Amino acid sequence: MNRGARASTIAVGIAFGFLITGSGFGNYATIHQALLLRGWYLFAVFGSAAAVAAAGLALLRRTGTTRYGGPLRLAYAPARPHHLYGAAIFGARFGLTGTCPGGAVAMVATGGLGGLLVLFGLVGGMWLRGPAERPSATRWG
Amino acid sequence: MLGLLPAQLPWWLAGPGMGLCVVGLYGLANRRLGVSGAWLAAVVAPIEGWRGERWRVEFLAALAGGALAEGLLSSATRLTGYPVLSAALPAGVLLPLLAGGGLALGYGARWAGGCTSGHGLSGCAAGSPDSLAATATFFSVAVGVTFAGQALSGGAL
Repeated sequence: MNRGARASTIAVGIAFGFLITGSGFGNYATIHQALLLRGWYLFAVFGSAAAVAAAGLALLRRTGTTRYGGPLRLAYAPARPHHLYGAAIFGARFGLTGTCPGGAVAMVATGGLGGLLVLFGLVGGMWLRGPAERPSATRWG
Repeated sequence: MLGLLPAQLPWWLAGPGMGLCVVGLYGLANRRLGVSGAWLAAVVAPIEGWRGERWRVEFLAALAGGALAEGLLSSATRLTGYPVLSAALPAGVLLPLLAGGGLALGYGARWAGGCTSGHGLSGCAAGSPDSLAATATFFSVAVGVTFAGQALSGGAL
């Protein structure tokens, strides 16, 4: 990766971390209310994020190129059973602990020390899954 | 902490902003934005003895920096992060639940090849079938589990 791409990665990382924290992805109560289908806030956030992202990617697709990273390669992979199994386990715990890998960072950043435990578990869980994934460690989008 | 920002940003700022992050990372660097992949590359890869991509490591560090900045500027600070759960459950149940929950989160995310950001946001916006399937699955399971938890706990959770 060249310098421009690396700088963009860092800039986007900062912005994304800022926004997930500011929108309450690190707040159990916000996520919990949304998963009980009581609060509309998180749906508005996620829905508008997905809509803007989809519109932006559609425009990018037309130009077909990126500023620092060469010809555009968007994620595209067929759905396979492992996506569903993994997502089901992920979703069960998302429901139980009300947080996700990014949300736990946001939780810790706002002083939520419970998020630290989640992060320890997160790394441990990925490590546990390692032996089954090792040959295709680069499969990650 | 400093209370310079509201506890919660308005949705029309945060949501489209996150969408632009996805577009920006693709349009500038040609990469899919995803947080669990960053954790994998930054922390799990060294444990397993392979080299994670460097941009993912830097992305995670930047993400944590941005999150900390927001946490400092906003008025939303809490100590446990789990006020409802810690009121309803004793620590001997809550702490293992959080760590165990994290364990399944990591296991599932690696198995599925992504999480809320990688599949849910980036992959879905790109129209990738694996992401659409994974997102529909984890979201419906999460809603189901939350409702089940509330029913089983008599409304305490």
